[in-house]
Amino acid sequence: MKADLINPFLAAAFDILKRMGKTDATRGQLRLASSPVCGDEVNVAVGVTGDLLGQVVFCMTEETAKKLASNMLIGLPIVALDELAKSAISEFSNMVTGNAVGELGSRDLICSVTPPTLFMGKDVTVSAIDLDFLVIPLQTKLGDITIYIALREAIS
Amino acid sequence: MKRVKTTQLVPGMRLAEDIILPKTTVTLIGAGTELSIEMIRRIESLGLESVGIDETQAHSRDETERQLLPVLARNHKRMIIAAEELIKISDDQPLEEQAIRGLADDILNQVEMDPSLLLNLTHIKAYDNYLFSHSVNVAILTLLVGEVLGYSKKELHELGTAALLHDLGMLSIPQEIWQKHGALSPAEMEEVRKHPVYGEELLRAKGFSEEIIKVAREHHERCDGSGYPDGKQEKEISFKARIVAVTDVYDACISSRPYREQLTPQQALEQLFAEKEKYDPVVLNAFISVMAIYPIGSLVVLNSGQVAKVIRVSKNNPFRPEVRIYFDREGNLLEQPPRINLAEEKNHTLYIDRTLPAEEHKKLAAMIDAAAGRN
Repeated sequence: MKADLINPFLAAAFDILKRMGKTDATRGQLRLASSPVCGDEVNVAVGVTGDLLGQVVFCMTEETAKKLASNMLIGLPIVALDELAKSAISEFSNMVTGNAVGELGSRDLICSVTPPTLFMGKDVTVSAIDLDFLVIPLQTKLGDITIYIALREAIS
Repeated sequence: MKRVKTTQLVPGMRLAEDIILPKTTVTLIGAGTELSIEMIRRIESLGLESVGIDETQAHSRDETERQLLPVLARNHKRMIIAAEELIKISDDQPLEEQAIRGLADDILNQVEMDPSLLLNLTHIKAYDNYLFSHSVNVAILTLLVGEVLGYSKKELHELGTAALLHDLGMLSIPQEIWQKHGALSPAEMEEVRKHPVYGEELLRAKGFSEEIIKVAREHHERCDGSGYPDGKQEKEISFKARIVAVTDVYDACISSRPYREQLTPQQALEQLFAEKEKYDPVVLNAFISVMAIYPIGSLVVLNSGQVAKVIRVSKNNPFRPEVRIYFDREGNLLEQPPRINLAEEKNHTLYIDRTLPAEEHKKLAAMIDAAAGRN
């Protein structure tokens, strides 16, 4: 996977975290992980289709998810990860991926995203057939958020 | 037209006749309306045996609203006028408890019928008399929150009555004060802050229930003890008063007042949450599920660059309301603004990127209203 495909995702994550999550983020060391990868307590997968094919997965602890959801929900106190909070985390993932894919469009890579799927549980694994994941660790004041990206160009 | 037994109604059928609330002249559902599950439940609860159904093809949702909205708008206006007549107390015109309770019932019926359309109406701040439109709108918002909290019909009735009467004490304060342009003097402010006490006295004299009296007395109390007149905290404040505290502040914020700028719905929510320690978290949670993050009436910018207005919100999906796109990405007003439900899977690649700053919100909202007026 080309490294320059990653920049739109990073830029989108920083932007959405700042505007919706009310937090700055710093990027940790990028690395490659072979499939499958382990998730965290809260995980959202968004598929990418079109000129690029693959998956983007957002992983975080439940504590981080609750804080992120609360900030997205104008500071609503979140006691448990209920439907409202889950919709916030899903929308966060949808916005980051959608925003990045939109940016890729200006490079003539026309893609679309599939609806986000949220799944819970530390022991879940995520696979991407024949692809390695590029791992982007982000540190925020809400806690760590890890983005796994596995994308390849579609064969036309 | 054919007559269909109430028990055999299904959503999508279209009414061929008006449904009138028994013993009144209030049109509950107008002829031509496509029935929803909620409306059918409502018709059943009225005890009607059968209704006239149009046998031609089902209408689209748009057309349903085109027909339903004027009915609701008429009723909304009528409710405000009724509130004015009923609530305004003078020596020769006593406050009629039964009539007030009847009005609370009317509002509850409207709330059950189509919350989203009714919420649209609360954003139309065209009425001269702030106090009475505010009372009706607070009653609408309060009942919607009460429904989310699972109140029984009987409790909702009490809650609606209390919400209608929460500002009654304002009538004991000289009009020059609460309709004054510009900031109030400390003495005037002190007078205004007595309205909960006046409200309590009036309602007690009229023999209203203790619960209703408490809402009038305590709706300016705050959970952190910063409210008035008594500086009560959390559980010392009755729960119904904690609900009205939230809905009262929200409606006041989105209304244009002589002494204060009108806030956008989103700003009003932000204002409320900026001081969330003042309010009950359970009430705030219920309020968000009623209003969503982008409340009805909000102008938002989609990731596609278009500007849209929120026209319906969906429960548990506060980021994905139904919107009508009014401006294309170049900022041109669309002649036939399309309606998009962001909660539908086929639309999920669209999302709300941001809300408009207040100035722009005001400008574009005025353009939309002007265009609507032309049609």
